[in-house]
Amino acid sequence: MRLGYLVRRILFLIAVVWVAATIVFFIPRLSARNPIRERFAEIARSTGFAPKDLEQIIAAYEVKFGLDKPLLQQYIEYMAGVLRGDLGPSLTRYPKTVLELIFSALPWTIVLLMLTTLISFALGNLLGALASWPRSPKFVKGLMAPLMMLQAVPAYLLGLLLIFFIAFRLKLLPMGGAYSQGVTPSLTLEFILDAARHQILPAISLILASLGFWALGMRGMGITIQGEDYVNFAEHKGLHPRTIFTQYYVRNALLPQITGLALAFGSVIVSGVLVEQLYGLPGLGGLLGDAILKNDYFVIYGITLFVILSIAVLMFIVDLIYPLLDPRIRYESR
Amino acid sequence: MTQIAAVGPKPDAQEIRYEHPSRLTLTRRYLRRNKSLVLGLAIVIALTLFTVIGSLTIDTEKRAYPLAVKPKQPPSAEYPLGTDFFGRDLLAVMVRGIWQTAVIGLIAGAIGTGVGVILGFLSAYYGGVVDTIIRAVTEVLLPIPAFLILVIIAGSIDRKSVTIYTMALIVSLLAWMGPTRVMRAQVLTLKERLFVNVARLSGMSNLEIIFKEILPNMLPFILASFVSGVFAGIFGSFGLSVLGLGPLREPLIGNTIWFAQQQAAFFNGWWWWPLWPSLALVLIFVSLTLINVGLDELANPRVRRTE
Amino acid sequence: MTKNKITRRQLLRLSALAGTGAVIAACAPATPAAPAAPAAEQPAQPAAPAAEATPTPAAEAPQIPEVPRNRTVIMGWGASDFDNIGVTSPFAAGHNHQNFNSSLWDPLYYWAAFSDTVYPWLAAGDPEYNADFTEVTIKLRDGIEWSDGTPITSKDVVFTVNTWRDNDKLDYHSRVAPYVKEAVAVDDKTVKIIFKQPSPRFVFDVLTAHFDTGRPIVPAHVLEKQADVTAFPGGLDMPHSGPYNIVSWTNNQKIFDLREDWWAIKTGFQPVPEAKRVIMQRIGDDMGVVAQRVVNNELDTALDFRNDIIANILKQNPKVTTHTGQNEPHGYLDWWPNALWMNLEIEPFSDVRVRRAINRAVNRDQIDEVVYGGAKVSTIYPFPLYPPLQKFADSPGVQALVEKYQPRKFDLEESAKLMEEAGYKKNADGLWEKDGKTVPAQISGFAGIHADIVPVLAEMLRQAGFDTGEGPDFSPEAYNNMAQGRPGLYMFGHGASLRDPFAVFELFNTKPTGNVAGSNNFSRYNNPEFEKLVLEMAKYPAGDPKFDELAVQAMEFYYKDVINVPIIQWLHRIAYNQTYWVNWPTETNVGEGYNGAFWHWTGPRVIAALKPAG
Repeated sequence: MRLGYLVRRILFLIAVVWVAATIVFFIPRLSARNPIRERFAEIARSTGFAPKDLEQIIAAYEVKFGLDKPLLQQYIEYMAGVLRGDLGPSLTRYPKTVLELIFSALPWTIVLLMLTTLISFALGNLLGALASWPRSPKFVKGLMAPLMMLQAVPAYLLGLLLIFFIAFRLKLLPMGGAYSQGVTPSLTLEFILDAARHQILPAISLILASLGFWALGMRGMGITIQGEDYVNFAEHKGLHPRTIFTQYYVRNALLPQITGLALAFGSVIVSGVLVEQLYGLPGLGGLLGDAILKNDYFVIYGITLFVILSIAVLMFIVDLIYPLLDPRIRYESR
Repeated sequence: MTQIAAVGPKPDAQEIRYEHPSRLTLTRRYLRRNKSLVLGLAIVIALTLFTVIGSLTIDTEKRAYPLAVKPKQPPSAEYPLGTDFFGRDLLAVMVRGIWQTAVIGLIAGAIGTGVGVILGFLSAYYGGVVDTIIRAVTEVLLPIPAFLILVIIAGSIDRKSVTIYTMALIVSLLAWMGPTRVMRAQVLTLKERLFVNVARLSGMSNLEIIFKEILPNMLPFILASFVSGVFAGIFGSFGLSVLGLGPLREPLIGNTIWFAQQQAAFFNGWWWWPLWPSLALVLIFVSLTLINVGLDELANPRVRRTE
Repeated sequence: MTKNKITRRQLLRLSALAGTGAVIAACAPATPAAPAAPAAEQPAQPAAPAAEATPTPAAEAPQIPEVPRNRTVIMGWGASDFDNIGVTSPFAAGHNHQNFNSSLWDPLYYWAAFSDTVYPWLAAGDPEYNADFTEVTIKLRDGIEWSDGTPITSKDVVFTVNTWRDNDKLDYHSRVAPYVKEAVAVDDKTVKIIFKQPSPRFVFDVLTAHFDTGRPIVPAHVLEKQADVTAFPGGLDMPHSGPYNIVSWTNNQKIFDLREDWWAIKTGFQPVPEAKRVIMQRIGDDMGVVAQRVVNNELDTALDFRNDIIANILKQNPKVTTHTGQNEPHGYLDWWPNALWMNLEIEPFSDVRVRRAINRAVNRDQIDEVVYGGAKVSTIYPFPLYPPLQKFADSPGVQALVEKYQPRKFDLEESAKLMEEAGYKKNADGLWEKDGKTVPAQISGFAGIHADIVPVLAEMLRQAGFDTGEGPDFSPEAYNNMAQGRPGLYMFGHGASLRDPFAVFELFNTKPTGNVAGSNNFSRYNNPEFEKLVLEMAKYPAGDPKFDELAVQAMEFYYKDVINVPIIQWLHRIAYNQTYWVNWPTETNVGEGYNGAFWHWTGPRVIAALKPAG
């Protein structure tokens, strides 16, 4: 039954998100750190002055944020808040709320991480398919080895080298930051072009580091498909090689890759933590890294939830559109 | 390159058995075809030799730590890899750092694979409720980005208890789901194969079947998942180090790069300082990838049909 | 009242931060409304005025006029104070002057370190003390006014001083309350401050802007109306006295534009500053990248560079200079000598022998050689060796103490002997151990600025048998651990003495509040004899023979009790890029004598002196 399958998938989605949220809820709470106290210590450090009634102020904040309650109760209340769409306040950037922080970081993350993932996916799969396609020129196959090496190198390390050579030595592109100094974000062409220039190096680091993953995967798929009867049949039918390549070959080999894409969207945010920090970009990755260092657990919860929810929903969507792509699969009966 | 060049006659199990050459010849013949595996293993062996010979010939107990040698020296006859800002001999740092980084990876890989094998077997062999529970837990945990959780854990624990061993343990916490799934799938297919049924009919106990019949056939998969585990372990620990969340005294590949970054090594022209750990990291990752490709070929003969 | 109950007052304070939210909301109508603040739950609370802060045009980007690059100063600043968006009132909880908020507020006096000159600013001339330093009279300049046109009068000064005295939530309460009986307005232009005891340092310490200390005068007509001044953030449009307006403030950058109607321009007291716009740009932790941005002329100035980095900046961009030009040490002596602090109230640091043993394990010559390329940066003093303090350090009294206690001596044998006397034995790892416990000597420091020295120190102590754990701790919780007196060693400075050693002894004498160290007395040194000495010393001006005598006595406590382990003098290595701006304050171009730290209260004076290049 299609409906039964749908219900099962939705339950699974909920289970994934709930388990992840639960794990992530408790981990930061096991530590003895107190982000509120650390925030006041930071203020005290830069002003050289610790308020007299600091302890009471901290306690008052704990009451305010509900941190004085038993952990289990906090957990239940937090989960209830999540259901209402309330991710709580940021503990270290109060009065900003977690939702506000996520929304202000999101555009950067979407532009950089989503775009690079899509570019990498498209390019990687094309190269992979070509590499496994017997008629492709030799140099395409030769590309596989360097791509494999590159995907073994963390994007952070590539980013480091790119900054040094491209931005510093050759001065071709900006070294970091999301946009030029003195510019205030606006929806003008000028600003968008400026911001885009700042995204090139981080984008290249992320693309280079992930290209090989798609290419190798696609190549494997392509090899598997080569022996399939329908490909042989198409060849014997005398179809144009390009038609065979796009219609029979890529289309079928791409299917499992698409599932991977849903997962990749999630994991790229995580690798974005390092790359965004390296380039000083105001995206979700940088926000998460900062929150982890400062133990701002509401922000950690919020971003984790967001990431996992995105992965789960994407996987769900991929599941649903799979039959449209692959005529062999139908969710009728099992 | 390697894998693509690995062209050869179709290996056909029956054909080989027919000729009855010695095991050694077979291995050699196979390895000649499986160049990925050879190259990957060669790099690993080279790195191992580097650390073993290095720790036997150099006083790494002293020279891998600050204040041991003249600082900021470029590579020279006296200091083949140069020295860093703190007066550490980078040769000693690399000898120790590669080893300790590998230890993290090996521990994480071993725990992840070990747990995976056990759970996979339990799940597939016994089925029923056990299978349902293990499968459900694995499926639900798999989509959660492991590195995300790692960073959160590492950021939450007391700084004073972050050692290379705790790092390895943290990294291995979320490294068992993948192996579990692979093992379960493999055991399921093997279980129904003819030779297992034969064994069962001939009165072998479950344990005997597992250890004598199934396990040997699973070796390539176990190895592959161990190699992936080592990869993930090193990758995870590198990420933690680069965020400054790892231990800072014991030399590791990750924290050597972190220190070089902190002292703006590239900017200051001390290119050799971040270079060696970067190179070592690339070598480790490339070799593990090559080995995995090779193992994949071993396990899935169909891949060998390429070209 | 139980500890966990929140008093009304505390709620007022909380609403200060809530008020920040209101400002943000006001600035950005598009974002969701600010979260309910604690104050909002209690309608009677005065967060309302903060919420009324009129929407500033600042956040709407297109309205900011264009300013050419050669009239714009771009400064790199790394601290997280960008996050306190909208907190501009000097009395607000969480206010920070370092991100150039200093340019909003004029003080009565400025002190220039290199010329050792006090410049009357809002004041018309030098303060006039009476003979026994129990009263001081200050006259105000003509034509001074707030940005809303209200004149600045003696009422504002009286309000400022008396509020410090009365409001124990204010940072300067503890510096004012023990000394000030009352500030009174003699007339509109004259203020008299009456002291409880002779206070010869008061005007300099409290009313003179120097480095990060001294405070400006606040507008009485704005803050009087606030039920709780600490709860009122100010917002971007608070009437102020200084030369700039904040026109944009985000988490990543702040933009300040010159106020053409600044009183000092109108009265002709000061020339119109050439810097029409000042941008504070948030920089990351990676100082290599920051250095590269200076080299690429993206930043006009930034801090705080390690020794090698600044030398390489100069090599790569000849337009960049430093305080000492192309010469070592590429910087000037800051007031922040660094020491290893430890909590004297807990084991094992409560044992003076352990502290001495730690001091004996520090090889200061090696620090100079390895970390600072041979420059003499290491120190045995808790104050910067500025000329008057150098004189004090060289005085026979102090030199006799140095001879007696040998604070610079590096002697592992003596260190070992002291540890054995304290009951420690070396364990299998070569670490000192007593009752199964090693000495908790993990060193915490600040990421970036301490990343060069701390690993070296940690190795020295480790080699001497102190358990430095898994290496240095540069995590953000380190400061909090130090403030709370957790076990471990902490690298931190003394921002205290400038002209005489009194301030540093006062610092060692401050008491912890709750379980947090008071004004940076992280050692929690507590000694009634020392306390008596400090209060007595307060009565005498520097140069008085009685003062010098008492100061030497206090210095003996420092060495005898090893209040902390002094390590290095601190240098400000600031890059000055002359591509767009020249006339930076340097050794050869002293000008009025301000130090080049643009984040200090004196920062606006540094910027005002800049001239466009070419």
